[in-house]
Amino acid sequence: MKSGNRVKDGNYDDVRSRVFARARGEKRPPAGGLIRACREHSRPHAREKWHADRNPVYLLLLLLFYLPVLSLLVKVFFGAGFWQELTGFLRSKLFWNTLSFSCRQALYSAGFSLLLALPGAYFFGRFAFPGKRLLRSAMVLPFMLPGILVVLGMVVFYGNNGVLNHWLTLLFPDRGWRFTGLYGFWGIILAHVFYNFTFCLRLTGEAWERINPTLHEASALLGAGPFYTWRRITLPLMAPTLLYLFLLVFLYSFFSFTVVLVLGGYLYKTFEVLIYIEYSSRLRFARAALIAIVQLLLLAGLLYLQALSGRRRRREGLFAGTLPALKFRDYPGRTILFLFYLVFTGFFFFSPLAAVVARSFFSRGLSGGLPVLENYRLLLTDGFRFAVGRSFLSVITTSTGLAVTVSVVAVSLAYYLARLRRDRPWGKADLWLQLPLGVSFVTFSSGLFMLAGKVLPSVVLILWAQLFLAFPLIYSMLRTARRELGEPLLEAAALLGATPARILQTVELPLMRPALSTAAAYAAAFSLGDLAAVLMLGRGRVVTLSVAIYRLIGHYRFPQAIALGTIFILISLLLFLLMEGRSRPRLQDIFPRPEEAEEE
Amino acid sequence: MNENELSGNELSGSEQLCLEIKKAYPEFRMEVALQVNRGEIFSLVGPSGCGKTTLLRLIAGLEQPDHGVIILDGREITNLPPAQRRVGLVFQDYALFPHLTVAGNIEYGLKVQHLPAPARRQRLAELLALFSLEGLAHRQIQHLSGGEKQRVALARALAPKPLLLLLDEPFSALDYSLRQRLRQELKKLQAKLGFTAIFVTHQQEEALSFGGRLGVMENGRLVQTGTAEEVYENPATPFVAGFLGEANLLPCSVEEGEGRARVRLEGDGCFELPLQEDLPPGTYLLMVRPEDLSPGPVLAWRVTGKIETLEYLGSGYRLEVRCGAGVIRAFIAKKYRNLREGDQITLGFDPRQIRLFPVSPQNSSGPSVPVDNSPGI
Repeated sequence: MKSGNRVKDGNYDDVRSRVFARARGEKRPPAGGLIRACREHSRPHAREKWHADRNPVYLLLLLLFYLPVLSLLVKVFFGAGFWQELTGFLRSKLFWNTLSFSCRQALYSAGFSLLLALPGAYFFGRFAFPGKRLLRSAMVLPFMLPGILVVLGMVVFYGNNGVLNHWLTLLFPDRGWRFTGLYGFWGIILAHVFYNFTFCLRLTGEAWERINPTLHEASALLGAGPFYTWRRITLPLMAPTLLYLFLLVFLYSFFSFTVVLVLGGYLYKTFEVLIYIEYSSRLRFARAALIAIVQLLLLAGLLYLQALSGRRRRREGLFAGTLPALKFRDYPGRTILFLFYLVFTGFFFFSPLAAVVARSFFSRGLSGGLPVLENYRLLLTDGFRFAVGRSFLSVITTSTGLAVTVSVVAVSLAYYLARLRRDRPWGKADLWLQLPLGVSFVTFSSGLFMLAGKVLPSVVLILWAQLFLAFPLIYSMLRTARRELGEPLLEAAALLGATPARILQTVELPLMRPALSTAAAYAAAFSLGDLAAVLMLGRGRVVTLSVAIYRLIGHYRFPQAIALGTIFILISLLLFLLMEGRSRPRLQDIFPRPEEAEEE
Repeated sequence: MNENELSGNELSGSEQLCLEIKKAYPEFRMEVALQVNRGEIFSLVGPSGCGKTTLLRLIAGLEQPDHGVIILDGREITNLPPAQRRVGLVFQDYALFPHLTVAGNIEYGLKVQHLPAPARRQRLAELLALFSLEGLAHRQIQHLSGGEKQRVALARALAPKPLLLLLDEPFSALDYSLRQRLRQELKKLQAKLGFTAIFVTHQQEEALSFGGRLGVMENGRLVQTGTAEEVYENPATPFVAGFLGEANLLPCSVEEGEGRARVRLEGDGCFELPLQEDLPPGTYLLMVRPEDLSPGPVLAWRVTGKIETLEYLGSGYRLEVRCGAGVIRAFIAKKYRNLREGDQITLGFDPRQIRLFPVSPQNSSGPSVPVDNSPGI
């Protein structure tokens, strides 16, 4: 039965919420008191439907999100010779090479990310240990790091003249050991694993933790050894999560942009990079649009598979009990293995970032001698302006201005809609706001350029695109947080005589502040880390931190790139601390699971 | 029915469990010596957190004792891993494998044993028939009712023919009537198959209902073992008396005088007993069960007080009477329906039904003293 008919059956819950809704001063309260409210309420979802589907903000957002994609589709489908172009492209060597490379590198990236995560997941899933919560929180950090920063870290640490090769030369002077694979297939995989393995570790660890330990005990008592138990019990129970994550990482890697753009050179391209090259370098807009459509179809297929795997994750257990402490006294072997794992992954994960920070204090980017601020001084010289096209101050101002604007607009709009739909389950209206997650950013940007590139200034186009990028996640986070807040506290305040404004100011916003801060931090991080939209829509005139580092790397001005990267790391760290200080981010908000969407 | 197959040598109970173990925990120190006879259901009862489940986990090998030895079927298993102990355990939450069907769960242990497929299928069919699960063989675990899950858990635990079956409060998640029915089924099954089992529960009714021996645990120690009747009628400590059934524990003193012991109940007079060696003068707690109290001045040992509460129980009444020694609870027959709260009442009791627990400043739960049967009054 729909909730709108409940009053007829004597359930006053919804009537109560309507009355309190009026007390909170919402628009269009049912006139005529409780009886009128009851009568109105018998019409199923009349008001809620207005809320969800006809709200001007909601409609405006749908328009902003889908119009560029639609314009792209229209332009491609109704363009002259579309089918010939399409079949020509699908038969071309370029298409098959790109598809083959994208698939191979995505497969390797997903496989290695999971392989590296699984041993750690065992320790996170089966034991309690000091600092577990902190480590878990830190696993969100890569997600906050801009792609270009990851690439910079990789170049500085694993590059031909990087720290790793420097160490190898020092340690083994006669062997001639060097790692030279960064600019190529394996370098791209290395960067993707760096990016993805921590959230694989976090999610697999959480999945393992949800499996009731008594299942393992039951298996042991039935005579099974540890490996048999793992193969027959743990693995099947974790399989949906592993599949879900495999497809997720595959998806991210398949549509990777920044990493492949910088490390792939002319040899390796994903479809995202291909669209960008056709669009920016060769100025073949129709061709770029065509590739974008092909990519859109590929993405739809992959997303469908990923949604299926997400649905299967329901089968996992719900254990939430206490885990045994990982102590050397009780588990000496496992404690040593875990420490070894932490050191290894910590080295893998933190070394590139640490190398960026450390090298920024040494002149010409090479360690030796005393730390100096020479590289930072270079940021203020004409050399920087020549390479980047803007002054350092201008870059910082543009970046922060964009980040703050995107953050404020995205959070305000998302919270407004989240508040509007607070007493509704996840439904189609929410799904429409989530679907932009399934459209590649380069595709969107090219569509947006075709739609409004000649009308609107670059900054507005970039803001539009970054809003599109950040909104689904921000909305998902705030929607969940607002729903979890519930109504009783607000109702209590209303009954104590507080006005709607006062309730918002003294109860609702203070309680929602952690979620709002987290959402704002994520929105800012997305804006700061965005490279594709600024490159495609900025037309060279808008230069942000990401673009500046990209150009510095392109001009081989590594000392400045490293100094700017350190500033970028500092900003990312501040944003991370802002989130951590306020609340613990929920990974399901970052990677919303399809099963959370319910039919209205 | 193939229960003969099931009740082969492994299950028929030619074995017994002997253990004497010590293990220190942050909350308490476990120190238990226990012997379980072949073919019996030994009930282990005690309040939540007293160490019942922990003891089962130690026997199963899921935890290791600090000191001691566990012998099962004449073989020391103290240091054996769980997989090699041949101990079955029915978990409190059943721990059924959610990704396997009913049949998959039951034959899991058989597959581990690498039993050939025909033998495995035959045994599976036997167990499904024995537990009336034939129609559910291919059903997913999440689609089973509580009672069905319990039966699957039991069938799974029995499938590999364990030497000892451990049942960790297996009925705790079920409603009252289903619990009763399954208890009866378990008793019948044990009578058929003759397996040896330890049944853990925190419900006294459940422990008493199996009729076999039981042990009462308190703070990691087994404070008393015996048949249900022995433990109920002759509790070793006030804790046992209070835990198994209801008990009135009234402070009293024993004095010596003229060849007789005089029991002085605070505020309620004095009763005399023949002198006993194990009843030295001192402070005691007098234990009398509520059902052993009856209204009227017929019995010589009696207390008088005012009815504070009176509850109708269907089969009779439950009273709380304020007397000099404190509040006394009593169960009385329906025929006293004229009683009202506030009425004065005299409750008499037979000295053969009482126990006296010595009270010392250090330990208030010392061994109880049975009172000589001759009233001597």
